[in-house]
Amino acid sequence: MLSRIKRNINVFSVISVIAALLIVIPMLNILLEVLSPPSAAWVHIRENLLNAYIRNTLLLIGFVAVFSALLGLFSAYVVSRFEFRGRNLLSWMLILPLAMPSYIAAYIYADMFSYTGTIARFMRSANIPLRVNMMNLSGAIFIFTMTLFPYVYMMSRSALSSQSASFSENARLLGANRFRVLSRVVLPLLRPALVAGTLLVVLETLNDYGVVAYYNVRVFSFAIFNAWFSLGDTTAAIRLSGVLMLIVFAIIFIERAIRGKRQYSMHVKGKPVEPKKLRGISAFIVPATLWLIMALAFFIPLAQLFYYASLTFSDVINANFIFLIINSLTLAITATAITVFVALMLANYNRGTKNRFKKGLLKVTNLGYAIPGAVIAIAVMLFVHGIDRTLYPVYRLFNPDTGRLVISSTLIMLTFAFVLRFMAIGYNSIEASYDKVGEKFTEASYSLRAGKLRTLLTVDVPMIKHGLISAAIIVFIDVIKELPLTLILRPTNYNTLASEVFRYAREEMLQESAVPALVLIGVATFAIYYLTHYNKKGVAANVREN
Amino acid sequence: MNKLLLSLSVGMIVLMLSACTFGVNPDGESITVFSERHYDTDQILFDLFEQQTGIRVNVIDGGADELINRLENESEDTSADVLIIADAGRLHRAKTKDLLQPVESDTLFENIPSNYRDADNYWFGLTKRARVLVYHPDRVDPSELSTYEALTEPEWEGRVVTRTSTNIYNQSLMASFIEIMGEEDARAWAEGITANFARTPAGNDRDQSKFVVEGGADVAIMNTYYIGRMMNSSDPFEQEVAETVGVFFPNQDTTGTHVNVSAAGVTKHSDNVEAAVQFIEFLSGEEAQESFANANYEYPVNENVEMHDLLKSWGEFKAQDINLSVLGENSYQATIIMDEVGWE
Repeated sequence: MLSRIKRNINVFSVISVIAALLIVIPMLNILLEVLSPPSAAWVHIRENLLNAYIRNTLLLIGFVAVFSALLGLFSAYVVSRFEFRGRNLLSWMLILPLAMPSYIAAYIYADMFSYTGTIARFMRSANIPLRVNMMNLSGAIFIFTMTLFPYVYMMSRSALSSQSASFSENARLLGANRFRVLSRVVLPLLRPALVAGTLLVVLETLNDYGVVAYYNVRVFSFAIFNAWFSLGDTTAAIRLSGVLMLIVFAIIFIERAIRGKRQYSMHVKGKPVEPKKLRGISAFIVPATLWLIMALAFFIPLAQLFYYASLTFSDVINANFIFLIINSLTLAITATAITVFVALMLANYNRGTKNRFKKGLLKVTNLGYAIPGAVIAIAVMLFVHGIDRTLYPVYRLFNPDTGRLVISSTLIMLTFAFVLRFMAIGYNSIEASYDKVGEKFTEASYSLRAGKLRTLLTVDVPMIKHGLISAAIIVFIDVIKELPLTLILRPTNYNTLASEVFRYAREEMLQESAVPALVLIGVATFAIYYLTHYNKKGVAANVREN
Repeated sequence: MNKLLLSLSVGMIVLMLSACTFGVNPDGESITVFSERHYDTDQILFDLFEQQTGIRVNVIDGGADELINRLENESEDTSADVLIIADAGRLHRAKTKDLLQPVESDTLFENIPSNYRDADNYWFGLTKRARVLVYHPDRVDPSELSTYEALTEPEWEGRVVTRTSTNIYNQSLMASFIEIMGEEDARAWAEGITANFARTPAGNDRDQSKFVVEGGADVAIMNTYYIGRMMNSSDPFEQEVAETVGVFFPNQDTTGTHVNVSAAGVTKHSDNVEAAVQFIEFLSGEEAQESFANANYEYPVNENVEMHDLLKSWGEFKAQDINLSVLGENSYQATIIMDEVGWE
């Protein structure tokens, strides 16, 4: 028994268990709260509102999941399997909509279609009597699909580009037509990536507050904030979070159940699929469709932001502006590094395990993504304040005049919350890569008596570099865009680009929010550009080594 | 490229560390203000306050709900001395959460009319705003408008627009009706107005007036200062909207137009109560009020102070005669009723 435990103690298990404990303890506060007796506000919510919340939430995530899966899959398939003009450009640009925070897109689109907006004015001058109201459920579905589908695109594309040609070619040789190859070979092999991407889209949608509040779409995150602020009832808010978590668990559980015991790992050997040149009318239509998606998801809102920035930049830019950028970058880089590191440890700890304890641990650490940011913020705040109050005597040894909230007034609290919140993103991306490479190399390395760390650094990391880099991109962009955690947990007057954008939007000064929004989008765009291009070099190097 | 990234990171760390030393004033006396307001003119006022008293003002800005939560969580360890947020309903929430403390100050009692401060002196209104009717002059003659209640008549079906029921301004409006009309009539009003909505409520106050100009609705219920802010918008088309619409103060012959405040209170765990009170007194005084109110096109609460020219152009008006504490007391009930009648 003891020796078994001892054998299980290694760098992965220690870090995983510590990380899991740090994540579990704040969550427990929330889960315990669900068990407390229902308050009057909860009864009111259940009687009058809950049905609508559930219906709207299911409609929203259902449509967003289907549309973004279709868009993501379509664009990934076209880019990786066909050759056409502008393909290289599009292949990384299709990730760019991720640089556009959903709440900014929501504000800009509603504005463009409002009476004073560019599009509405154009339609009036062209005598087109068409009035579009963005501010409803359909509008929200559009915004989320357009700003989140790149998750599906990224994951599907990296899976497609590492899919060996031999599968498709064998199927073709056996007489399957193109459609059959797609539905029986390509898609099933793509499944883990497609599901992981769509799951990210769904979870991001469930978490958003900015879009649904502005468009008044009554979904769960909206309900949680409303119970908390309008009814002043934290218990009801936490209870709603509990229901939301149940919905998320159900989604994840159903997915796992459908997947069952089937495994989708395959080794990248043999040449990748040779892209087929598009000819005739499709050589025009197919790329045009992709550019249209790009225009709607990125370039049109961007152009509107540039116009507003030109009106307001002289009022908005001052000496403090540079600090917004520095703050955002420092925060995002630190949080990304820690998140990806811990996610890698967790992924290693859990690879191919059948151990229930490990699986449970993993589920818990990935929970953060299913809980609305604001609830995490409160959980983390209570937790860190608790630590500070416990450690107060120790602080006083160093500085007798110290206040009690020492850790709470630093960036540690916010960074911790980011790690907790975005762990699932990092983890899923790394897990998908591990799924793809399988375990034989790692096992070979162990059988050659290489240590766990050495195997990780020299065997696993180089193989899953792709996955690590996409994990890093996504987490970085998510952190830099993130709102509720930043707003609630940032240290005194620690303003970031996102908090500045939100401040202007809250004060109904959309035009003034354009400059910080553009810088935010610029930084995220640079991150995407740098990492996708670095990534390509990496892939090229790998191919050469093979 | 990696080297570049490395040197960038190092540069950033150095900048960060140096940034930490900015704005630290270890010697002088100072107070920390949690404020929802964020106007450049406020800083000029704070500098003036520092000149006069030697007390430095550190401002932490954020959304009202966010700041209340933060105060609640930091409890006795908070650095905040003063809380400044909009809407009596929210201040009442801070009071009931035991985050503020009562203040006895003759200066404040003198500067601020009694219905614009808390009945138990936990918070003090600094600027006022009215929730008025904004109409399109081509489609509505002001003579057709009279009261909030009249908008529930069948002739207004599909012509009224306002924000959601989760918005605190509407909750406070509803809370004032519960006080003035009683719960039954207030519920009937909410039902009637919901039946006359031109669309499912969405968007912010500016969006409501745009919807009126666009022709989607004829009358919007919204706050006065948004008209002022749109007239001075950086977007010329928003200025046009603000200049197109008419502003009507309802219930002038009956119960008065709904008025709310943005207000300040001293936090319960302030470690510099005296300076905090001094600061609120300063903001309620004649010297500060004009700039403080004008920054957001609001009415100064101090009656000796002149209002902004735009507000003057709308003329004097009769306000609801209630102590604003009741807005907070009725706010929960207001929310429940609005949910029950299906006001989204």
